[in-house]
Amino acid sequence: MTGRNEQHPADLAGAYALHALDADDTATFEAHLAESERARIEAAELNDTAVALGLAVAPVQPSSALKANLMSLLASTPQLPPLTAGTTDAPASATHKAPVVAPVVTSTLPAKPTSTTPTSGGGAPAGSASAVTDINSGTASGPHRTATERAQARWFKRPAQFMLAAAAAVALFIGGSFFGQVLNSNQFESQQASGLAQINAADDSQRAATTTADGQEATLVWSNKLGISAVLVDKLPVLPSDQDYQLWYINGDGAASAGTFDSTGDGTAWRVLDGTMHAGDQVGVTVEPNGGSDQPTTNPIVAFQS
Amino acid sequence: MLDLMTVDSAGDIAPAAPATKEELLARVAHGDQSAFGELYDQIAPRVLGLVKRLLVDHAQSEEVTQEIFLEIWQSASRYEPTRGGASTWILTMAHRRAVDRIRSSQAGRDRDTKIGIRDLAVAYDHVAETVEVRLEHERVEKAMTRLTQLQRQAVSLAYYGGYSHSEVAEQLHIPLGTVKTRLRDGLIRLRDELGVAS
Repeated sequence: MTGRNEQHPADLAGAYALHALDADDTATFEAHLAESERARIEAAELNDTAVALGLAVAPVQPSSALKANLMSLLASTPQLPPLTAGTTDAPASATHKAPVVAPVVTSTLPAKPTSTTPTSGGGAPAGSASAVTDINSGTASGPHRTATERAQARWFKRPAQFMLAAAAAVALFIGGSFFGQVLNSNQFESQQASGLAQINAADDSQRAATTTADGQEATLVWSNKLGISAVLVDKLPVLPSDQDYQLWYINGDGAASAGTFDSTGDGTAWRVLDGTMHAGDQVGVTVEPNGGSDQPTTNPIVAFQS
Repeated sequence: MLDLMTVDSAGDIAPAAPATKEELLARVAHGDQSAFGELYDQIAPRVLGLVKRLLVDHAQSEEVTQEIFLEIWQSASRYEPTRGGASTWILTMAHRRAVDRIRSSQAGRDRDTKIGIRDLAVAYDHVAETVEVRLEHERVEKAMTRLTQLQRQAVSLAYYGGYSHSEVAEQLHIPLGTVKTRLRDGLIRLRDELGVAS
């Protein structure tokens, strides 16, 4: 979109901080971020500014059911492992100077060995956490570090795809409706879970969202590097027992079956596709006779372009 | 920094100083469910408030809030305290999720088009307000008055309305390029007014 109106990518900084860009513009702007230290600082500051707008909104007390529900889901919701020191910045290595040192914190910080140990990695060590607290509670008494220093140490450089993929991963476990359940196979289930985790952990993890013909939210997450993808659909209707949902990889060679699944009708139904995904493949879902078909016999209820 | 801690520190001390959100998040990263519960208690009303500001519908907002907290649970290990406060991390995530929901659902498009553009003050009417919220609100409201009308409208539509920059352009009947510069100039102005860049 930037090409059309011949503007500099730097102009996108505001819209980026406000999450007002589409995927193309986001990619354009992040490429710009990768090249410009100044742009990264500005992006960090504008992100903080956007959060200030968020903090000005009146809080709303959630229903007590929400917390109860959440707490009950934790046990079955896998957590992403910490990124190790070596890989943490790999996707972003071009985007900032190494090492990103925690101790932009200064005077108010009691000397704590952990806060200056870069090897503490992404594990959110307590020392660093309290350092941040000190910064926060100390703002009234004056700046403790320059905007540049602070901005150098921002997480915003984490590729946007990661957040999106993580978001998608979360959606999977809500409601616990898992395609694989019908197969009643723990091995299958764990393969599925591990496939999904791999997609989400991949540094080229991507996501596309759309709606089905009936308006349910549907998401495709994939990694071209790994050649795998997964489809998630919210509240996909239950099919009669003589029918299955079937997944397809579609490309110049035609449609290849990528497995079948059922839905319980509520929650988020999801499945990692069988077979290998190739960059640019379309992914489609059709309703087929029980057990699936060799080729699609109905129009897809949803299709994604990867 | 944009953390509730700033405001808390200006007010009275809590009876028993609760763990900071950063500390809680570090524990959550290690699978500590009770830390998650505490973190939730501290910030869920903020998250739901923001999400509901964008989505309006309460049930849908709770649903998205649930997704956000599960994402916090899942990706707590990826939070890097050196890069900013926990509230900033969480509210950034919350806003992104709310926007995602709007973009991916018809419900988003059916919303009242006035949602984003309405005055901040109007949205603030029915607040069970606390001192910290009031302070933060007044600070932002004051900063907002320093923007041009077009900047203010564009920023409000994008942030509070969840509209994309091209939708903002349509609503305000101005070219996309102009929207981009207004959003950027507006945020820069706010940044300076709010003292975000120290």
